[in-house]
Amino acid sequence: MISLDNIHVVFGRGTPLEKKALSGVSLTIKEGSFTTVIGSNGAGKSTLLGVLAGDVIPVEGCVRIGDAIVTKQPTAARAGRVARVFQDPLAGSCGALSIEENLALAHKRGKTRGLKLALGHSRRKLFREKIAELDLGLENRMTDRMSMLSGGQRQAVSLVMAMMAGCDVLLLDEHTAALDPGMAEFVMKLTERIVNDKKLTTLMVTHSMRQALDYGDRTIMLHGGEIVLDVEGDSRKTLEVEDLIAMFRRVRGQTLDDDELLIA
Amino acid sequence: MSQIALWGAVELGLVYAFVALGVYLAFRVLDFPDLTVDGTFPLGAAVTAVLIMAGINPWFAAAVSMVAGALAGLVTATLNVRFKILNLLASILTMIALFSVNLRVMGRPNVALLSVDTMLTPFYGNGLRDFMVRPLFLLVLAIVALLIVWRYLESDAGLAMRATGANPRMARAQGINTDRQIYLGIALSNALVALGGALFAQTNGFADVTSGVGTIVVGLAAVIIGETLFGTRRILIALIGCVVGSILYRIAIQLALSSDVLGLQASDLNLVTAVLVTFALVLPRLKRGVLSS
Repeated sequence: MISLDNIHVVFGRGTPLEKKALSGVSLTIKEGSFTTVIGSNGAGKSTLLGVLAGDVIPVEGCVRIGDAIVTKQPTAARAGRVARVFQDPLAGSCGALSIEENLALAHKRGKTRGLKLALGHSRRKLFREKIAELDLGLENRMTDRMSMLSGGQRQAVSLVMAMMAGCDVLLLDEHTAALDPGMAEFVMKLTERIVNDKKLTTLMVTHSMRQALDYGDRTIMLHGGEIVLDVEGDSRKTLEVEDLIAMFRRVRGQTLDDDELLIA
Repeated sequence: MSQIALWGAVELGLVYAFVALGVYLAFRVLDFPDLTVDGTFPLGAAVTAVLIMAGINPWFAAAVSMVAGALAGLVTATLNVRFKILNLLASILTMIALFSVNLRVMGRPNVALLSVDTMLTPFYGNGLRDFMVRPLFLLVLAIVALLIVWRYLESDAGLAMRATGANPRMARAQGINTDRQIYLGIALSNALVALGGALFAQTNGFADVTSGVGTIVVGLAAVIIGETLFGTRRILIALIGCVVGSILYRIAIQLALSSDVLGLQASDLNLVTAVLVTFALVLPRLKRGVLSS
């Protein structure tokens, strides 16, 4: 289980540019659930993921992952619990390293890294098998640099990397936003398959309201650093994109002016 | 160029091969422009010279030099990681501080190693001439250093260091403490450079506080020449490139200075160095231009 209790995040504190990114967000996410997170630009979606990943340390509040309180724990220290796939395909992997080297890095996530060869025979075989499951033909390009892969291929490999060492929670930060529609659909199907197979606790930030309703079992909407909508179960199953927009307007009592959100 | 001059150039190239390996770790692996090496090279020479003159075993003296170099590297890394000083500026601060430290270590601007045993002493008089013994001895040490660095970079720990330089955000997301990697990498880099300084002192018979001027340029030139000739695809090849690049660089300098046609003198060394480094930097672009045309 993941729980966020009264989380406050302020950027540029004490400066003229001070901005409240999250204001008293409290959220409990059940183990094995798949939650989608939507909201306009600047709503606090990525900050919420950052708080869970350790990139953002809240000024107030408590973050729990499983039994552990991880509020002040830096990213590297909680990497064994949290796996991530970033929005930018270049951010989640090392372009200068080969596919198999990237997998070797992920293989030791959250574990002590010693002087053992990163790419021994048995590991190479394991990595090749994992990559072959993608069915993209990348198992024949294991020594190619990641920078030679397309954005979609990189995101697919990033998903495999996220699963290499196991985790308590998977964070997906608009991980299909930079992909063409065909590749985005492939990556989403792959995501769904992995999440279902491993029964992972997953949080996915998306700008697409369609994705937010099609995938997962719970949807939350952020606005101005607060959770303004939280639907799951039967009430979510009957929701349409138009309903989501109407709910947003009703809750906030204002016009939705984020073009990207409306188009999505 | 005479045979002795050629062997001399190879010898100096092999001394600076340790610098090139250190510079490769900092610049290429960690993406950390570290000018500390201009101070750590003479630091290594100073420590080893003072210890040898005090009757300490020359191998142990070289090891202590490495520790001193690593400590200097840690100072730079601390200034950058702990106090958030820009990496380049942090290394310049340590470098200028080391000038004073080196004078303190030696007690004067230079120390001569006269009539004392060095690491090379047991190898003289075995049939080979002295000017050949030194490069061969250095070649063996350079190969050992190269293999250790290569094996480390191919390990899980080494891969973490490479990821830190290539994509620190991703590295942290994979559970790598990037700050620790910078401490370790810069310490290792400067330990290698200090070893180069220690070997310089033992092969040339002196340590001088000014011997570090331009060390970073020489190290970078070696790395770039190696990358141009051998490529950067595989770590082992890149490391071999550093060593060979260092030797080729010294031979090129020696050739330029000994060429009567060019009319160059020893005082033109810095000019030749600048021209050679510029050529090495431009060469990859020229190669790409030729290939694309």
